Amino acid sequence: MNINDWKGIWVFAEQEEGCLSEVSLELLSAARLLAKKRPAEICAVLLGHRVQILADQLLAYGADCVYLADHPSLDKYLILPYTRVVSDLIGKKQPEILLLPATFLGSDLAPRVAARVKTGLSAHCTNLDINERGELMQVVPAFGGKVMATILCQEHRPQMATVRPGVFRKGEPRDRKGTVENVPVEINPDDLNQRVIEVHWEKKTAQTVEEAEVVVAGGAGVGSREDWKWVESLAEALHGAVGGTRPPLDEGWITEGQMIGQSGKTIRPKLYIGMGISGVIQHTVGIQDAKVIMAINNDPNAAIFQTADLGVVSDFRKIVPLLLEELKKLSRDKTVS
Amino acid sequence: MDIIICLKPAPDPKRWDSIQLDPVTRALQREGIQSVLGPLDKRALEEGLRLKEAHGGKVTVMAMAPPSARENLVEALAMGADEGYLLSDRAFAGSDTWATSLVLSTGIRKIAGFDMILCGSYSLDGSTGHVGAQVAEFLGILNVSQVVAVENIERGKLRTKSLAESGYRILETPLPALITVTREINTPRFTSLFGVIEAENKPLITWSADDLGVAPGKVGFRGSPTQTGGVFMPEMRRKAEMLSGEPEEMVQEIVRKIRQALG
Amino acid sequence: MEFQFSAQQELLRKSVREFAEGAIAPKVQHMEETDEVPWDLYKEMGKQQYMGILIPKEFGGSALGHLARMIMLEEVGRISAAAAMAVQIFHLGVVPIVDFGNEGQKKKYLPALAKGERLATIAVTEATGGSDPTGIQTTAKLQGDSYILNGRKCFITHGHVADTITIMARTGEGPKGFSAFIVEKSFAGFKLGRKEKKFGLHGCNTGEIAMENCVVPRENLLGSEGDGLKVSMSAISEVGRAGMAGCGLGVINACLEASVKFANERLLGGKPISQHQAIQWMISDIYMDLETSRLLSYRASWMKDQKIRCDVDMAMAKFYATEAAVRCSKKAVDIHGGYGYMMEYPVQRYYRDAEILIASAGTSEIQRIVMARKALTSFK
Repeated sequence: MNINDWKGIWVFAEQEEGCLSEVSLELLSAARLLAKKRPAEICAVLLGHRVQILADQLLAYGADCVYLADHPSLDKYLILPYTRVVSDLIGKKQPEILLLPATFLGSDLAPRVAARVKTGLSAHCTNLDINERGELMQVVPAFGGKVMATILCQEHRPQMATVRPGVFRKGEPRDRKGTVENVPVEINPDDLNQRVIEVHWEKKTAQTVEEAEVVVAGGAGVGSREDWKWVESLAEALHGAVGGTRPPLDEGWITEGQMIGQSGKTIRPKLYIGMGISGVIQHTVGIQDAKVIMAINNDPNAAIFQTADLGVVSDFRKIVPLLLEELKKLSRDKTVS
Repeated sequence: MDIIICLKPAPDPKRWDSIQLDPVTRALQREGIQSVLGPLDKRALEEGLRLKEAHGGKVTVMAMAPPSARENLVEALAMGADEGYLLSDRAFAGSDTWATSLVLSTGIRKIAGFDMILCGSYSLDGSTGHVGAQVAEFLGILNVSQVVAVENIERGKLRTKSLAESGYRILETPLPALITVTREINTPRFTSLFGVIEAENKPLITWSADDLGVAPGKVGFRGSPTQTGGVFMPEMRRKAEMLSGEPEEMVQEIVRKIRQALG
Repeated sequence: MEFQFSAQQELLRKSVREFAEGAIAPKVQHMEETDEVPWDLYKEMGKQQYMGILIPKEFGGSALGHLARMIMLEEVGRISAAAAMAVQIFHLGVVPIVDFGNEGQKKKYLPALAKGERLATIAVTEATGGSDPTGIQTTAKLQGDSYILNGRKCFITHGHVADTITIMARTGEGPKGFSAFIVEKSFAGFKLGRKEKKFGLHGCNTGEIAMENCVVPRENLLGSEGDGLKVSMSAISEVGRAGMAGCGLGVINACLEASVKFANERLLGGKPISQHQAIQWMISDIYMDLETSRLLSYRASWMKDQKIRCDVDMAMAKFYATEAAVRCSKKAVDIHGGYGYMMEYPVQRYYRDAEILIASAGTSEIQRIVMARKALTSFK
């Protein structure tokens, strides 16, 4: 195998029920960024049934071409049919790079494909780049985020990576020219022994800490359920999500999905505000990618101030009510004007 | 039901703050940190034990790990597993998930037969979440990822509830199959004193690369399609602009900073 | 001399530690606030075979011995001294049956106790006799097929909740006039007295029990009439003292961990107080107390497992570990400064829990008398 023959940057476009996931479009932006350093054709790989219309969207968001595998058996995601289609396509077209979203689907499909085509795969990349040798540099977290490693796949192709939603920003849709190639799909009946019995849609009641642009979090220092309402009120005023450390989880003020840190969620909001949080590393590894970190703590020596952009030495019970008033005033003024 | 649990002993998270980066070799220093079974390992084992209790059979635990991980396998035996296999060889060192999955699937094939394989959906340290699916691919069996509940096993078919972007899915999968489990699936049992006593009498076998018939070049550092190009510990320090004084005075500045952050 | 724990003992410790952190720790706050006995926890500990650790295998116990017991108590005590006391007092109620019971008594009582389905305790102390058990005044008079017991026992741990109580009572005159009985709380004439409110060890029930013409079947006599002192003292001197030492080890462990954690986080003059010598010396003192207490306690436990007489070694371990627990908990509170006085920090609980360890299973003064007696004869 001559790896120099492998060309092209591919993105697996995830869709469900005829809707492209946001992260698929983000990955097209990632591909475009990589293509600046390593010029290549950018192709989206789209599987499903009656999803031709999505191909145009993919072209608009940055794909030069779309490989469309449209077949009734691909209507709902199943590991074996999808693995076979993607692997066969890889074998035929020999892409240099294949990016997949680090979603439930992508994280299930990617390893199986990588195993089948015998290549390397890195997981939950927080960054991608091209090095001076033209190789894909895949930056991944380990040990809960305390350690970052750069992964390379030097002698195998395609170089595969899964990328978390929110790492790249999707671009603006443009009127672009591109091709849509229909991929002939041959379904192996052995691949259909697994069946989807039910797909259950859960109504999302609140945005998750991973998706939110603003996260307001509280720690043990909040002290009581009564005072936890300040965390919730500030999050609401800023249209953000509520998060916390382990003590609030133990107290039942947050659920497991809201715990941020080494053994919880890693978040990358535009703004993180923490109150009553001391700042132990088990928590701060989870917020290190936030754009702006603000901390409110009445202990001037609290460790969190060392990882914050703005440190407010105050009792949150005193300052948050004032903050809420100011924010309310601002939004009132906005609606008036 | 013959059940195999793949475990991944990893350095104790309680001691992760002592992980250092050697400035000269650029290698991670994790010496002296004991390896532990992660919460997902235990949940996979717990689910296996429950399935055995419901359907009869045997629970085998297996791990590809250094010799020091033997005590983690003993822990698994004490928790209730019937036998254990430690796949250990210098040649395995530096294996990425592909090479690890190759070793594990070779080990699994060497054991008589199985109906189900369970593992955690990701490991404590590497947390890629890849090994389950790759082991399934190498064994040529179906897999289901991120299972939150095993609903039913009937007439050779496994019914599971697993996580999806939309919420969850119910899948029906013919056995033999591999599933990876999430935190929600169960609460692992505690190991009783009887368990500790009985662990001594259960078989715990170590297999080397030779025993498995695996060529050293195909696994470990040399056999891994991915390589680690560089490791760094991200700098998390930020220059904090500190505010103190009367709350009323600080509020304006805070609001200004919030608006700035949100653009 | 072998100073390392075996792999099985390490596994035992790890398993108990995980149980203590996973199942006992969440109950502690509630125990502190309500002083309620965590029933389900004790049943759970029974299922884990902590209660049956000294019961022979033929009766359903794990018979792991005294060293294993010490490890288990240390790990339980590290999370909750009250829970450790509950387990150790159970053993104290059971050991007289194991050592002095006849086949019938063992078959009748031990299996359910081994499973933790029923709880046991021991009742010796009275208002008139604690340190000096010969001062007890509860009487037992043989009438036909039963002994009729009259008297009150005070400061009995689990007196109000145990199903099976080993009770010492007077059947005759002089030191050979005591007998030990297995009493069930369901026997006629067995009454619960006042429940004590203690300033520590919350969640561990302590109270008074009364026998008012309590009818105890003749076959519930442990050993023979006149064996009472032998039965209770052998239990208390080797199993009770060890139990207290185990609780002490747990408390000292907890004190050291809490102090290290606080000292590493609390900043003074720009650096953590753990970098200040004064704090370092306090921490090293706690560390030394921990290791010394452990050495004495584990050695005595090893001796007991080897069936070597160890009442004095147990006395020394008990004295040291319990006095050290009080000493170290005060140091831990002091290391915390003002925070040590606040209920949200755990060290105040260790401070409150530790004190009772000195008075139980023989006060420090009694232990000194025991040690002096040995020293005076052995070092002539």
